[in-house]
Amino acid sequence: MDLKRLEVSRLFNRFAFGPRPGEFTAALKAGPESLKSSLLNPPAIDSGAPSEPIFSDLGPRPAPNSPEVIQFSQNLRAQTKELSAWWLDQMVLTQKPLQEKMVWFWHGHWATSIGKVNYPLPMMKQNQTFRKYALGNFKDMSQAMLLDGALQIWLDGNENTLKAPNENLAREVMELFVLGVNRYTEKDVKELARALTGYQAVRSTGVVTLNPKRRDVNSVSILGKTGVLTGPEAISHLVDQPDCPLFLAERIWYRFVSSSNPLPAGHPMIGALAGREISQGVTALLNSGDLSRPEHSIVKSPVEWFVGVCKALNLTPSKLDSFTKLNGYLDKMAQIPFSPPNVGGWPADEAWLSSASAQFRIAFAAWLVKDADLSQIEALPPEKRIAYLADLLAIAEWTPRTTFALREVRANLPRLVSLAICSPEYVVSQ
Amino acid sequence: MNEKPTMSAAQLGMSKFTRRQFLKYSGASAAASSVLSLDDVASAAITRPLPLGTPILVVVTLYGGNDGLNTVIPYQDPTYYTARPGLNYKAETLLPLSDGFALNPAMTGIKGLWDEKKVAIVRGVGYPDPDRSHFSSMAIWQSGSPGTHLNTGWLGRWLDTQAIDPMTSISLGSVLPPLLVGAKNSGSALPLGGLVIPSGVFAKACDRLSKPSQADSKLMAAAALSMRNLFSVSGTITPVLSQPAPMSDDLPTVSGGNAGGDSNLTQQLNVVGKLIAAGAPTKVWSVSLGGFDTHANEANAQAALLGTVSTSITKFLSQMKASGRSKDITVLVYSEFGRRVKANGSDGTDHGTSGPVFLIGDRVNGGFYGDQPSLTKLIDGDLAVTTDFRDIYSTVLENVLLTPAEKVMGKWKGRVKAVKTV
Repeated sequence: MDLKRLEVSRLFNRFAFGPRPGEFTAALKAGPESLKSSLLNPPAIDSGAPSEPIFSDLGPRPAPNSPEVIQFSQNLRAQTKELSAWWLDQMVLTQKPLQEKMVWFWHGHWATSIGKVNYPLPMMKQNQTFRKYALGNFKDMSQAMLLDGALQIWLDGNENTLKAPNENLAREVMELFVLGVNRYTEKDVKELARALTGYQAVRSTGVVTLNPKRRDVNSVSILGKTGVLTGPEAISHLVDQPDCPLFLAERIWYRFVSSSNPLPAGHPMIGALAGREISQGVTALLNSGDLSRPEHSIVKSPVEWFVGVCKALNLTPSKLDSFTKLNGYLDKMAQIPFSPPNVGGWPADEAWLSSASAQFRIAFAAWLVKDADLSQIEALPPEKRIAYLADLLAIAEWTPRTTFALREVRANLPRLVSLAICSPEYVVSQ
Repeated sequence: MNEKPTMSAAQLGMSKFTRRQFLKYSGASAAASSVLSLDDVASAAITRPLPLGTPILVVVTLYGGNDGLNTVIPYQDPTYYTARPGLNYKAETLLPLSDGFALNPAMTGIKGLWDEKKVAIVRGVGYPDPDRSHFSSMAIWQSGSPGTHLNTGWLGRWLDTQAIDPMTSISLGSVLPPLLVGAKNSGSALPLGGLVIPSGVFAKACDRLSKPSQADSKLMAAAALSMRNLFSVSGTITPVLSQPAPMSDDLPTVSGGNAGGDSNLTQQLNVVGKLIAAGAPTKVWSVSLGGFDTHANEANAQAALLGTVSTSITKFLSQMKASGRSKDITVLVYSEFGRRVKANGSDGTDHGTSGPVFLIGDRVNGGFYGDQPSLTKLIDGDLAVTTDFRDIYSTVLENVLLTPAEKVMGKWKGRVKAVKTV
């Protein structure tokens, strides 16, 4: 395999939601270092980004069967749809693809579902926080997440009080957000829960306040530190633990390099995250040489696959012929943005490769291709189309099996493109 | 030449797999059997129904950590009431079993089966050194391997002992649980709702694309395999599902909804029942219900969930009577952990350790198994583990799946006598 091509393919597929037409060929010519540099140094102004939706506060849900509840439900549905369509558009259109890929990563890291939060406004605010800190400082991000209304609602923060501590948020902060499982004791979880008491989130707006009456101001003992700790102090103490950069490196590795091979001991990312600067960690990863090691293949999640197809085929999600249909396909493939299945985030690798998802992917592909402008491919002589598709889709290398399958349909453009985007070479980032 | 090429799904060869086509594939029309190169796969799947009398296992996973103490309730133990002042059931509301235990009032269906001696309840089930993380603990239960991390599920390893056949084990829902992932073989996932499979020229093209290639990485090979499996699985089950029930969630998941699992157990078991009745050559089914992570306002949420579990299983088994397969079926119900003895003050409970496991069916020896952990002699503030889940898995492997447990569980000695030997 051509390792330079493999690296460029992975840089696009894993760190940028795939290339736009022409980008892969240009990057291959300029070399991987140039591509890394442009990913890490995007334009200051994101000229491609769609404008962010502005959601009004819909207030508490009116009583069942009241006249107001119908309008309320309609507004809630409209906002939810707008939120989802906007983010998918943003992923496709942004000129800062690495930043957006990190937003997607953090969405799966601090995995919060609108299924329990209900309101789009707090989910939107959380998404903006992810973008603000996407490649910023992890301690700042963690402090902002402590005060994130969607996360507080999701993990029962409103129920965590002096009188009745509730461990849900504290446990996941330790296990899934900052340190990683088994890097603390059960006692640490209980004590952290007490330090995080008293926050109250308004469900419809996500505004978080601290209610001193609900706050436990007794001394706690967390990972070797004893004293009266405020929520922000407790979070800082966790982020300061040496396990935090290790955990972040593990999670970035798991989502960007390999979900099946473990992070090698002493990986340069761990040291680079010493100051908790996320961009330093990502830079170290890009320069580590791991992206040209063939053994690290990874399955694209359905949204990653979909966004990549849109970029390659010049499609804008909100302009597809039916948003309901789009949402239906994403639902069938089990990945709707803002609705991760649980607080652990999205599944990985083989979990996306069921026979059921293969079936929906084929139907989804056919539906997307019918809206695409295929004139560029049509202008090519049939014998050049398969190689062109490899560059369009940033495929590292077609197998002889797929080359044969594509050659048989190369005269029929919709069929050719549908098949190419359902191929194992595209479904998996090689 | 700038005209935008458009093509409908039908033009691409996608079509709803109709009952007529199903009959064609099953050999009713010799002409039709040559339409697809995949006809043989589909018809083989339909023409080799599971022989009557073949044992079938249905695994019900309750995601989120079901509160065992409010499921099988030690209602004569005063500690139960003092530990849970706002979260206990009064004795007179309960469904009494025996030995001072009663079922949650929502579980009337399972109480009926208990009276028929078809329910075994194993108490205090868990594993050494319990992990209170949803994900770690569920991974341990599904891999069947506490202590040593394994990438395979215990039923996935069982699949490895079987001939390669995507229909041997099917999970409802579009994401495959680790439970059914083996080293060589894996179960298939089946989402609810109508299925559309490619046909005609496009199907032939997909067939070519799904062939194994020596140049495939492990994951690419898995992607190709999933496409190959698609045709055999969907060919078999589509006709049965041609008029699927409307999709509806059993419950809201306002509290307790962030630890995984599906929400429509009733519909999943309804589909499984239809497929078993149709003779699907499937020996292991996996279904799930989420929402058991009841950190707050637990009572109503858990009762609603347990009511769904009880009603859907009871209905499923009664539906099976007409098929002649009810005596072949064993249902296993488990969750990743139980919850704390003490309520947490928001009228919920935090993550705990051991809990009850249910085995239900004609092959079950009804009654209690395993010792009830003491509510006062706690270990790290939680219930002790009195039965290792490997005892149950080993028993199920031997007495339900008729496979030597050692092939899956290694040299594990413990068993529970809850399932009749064949």
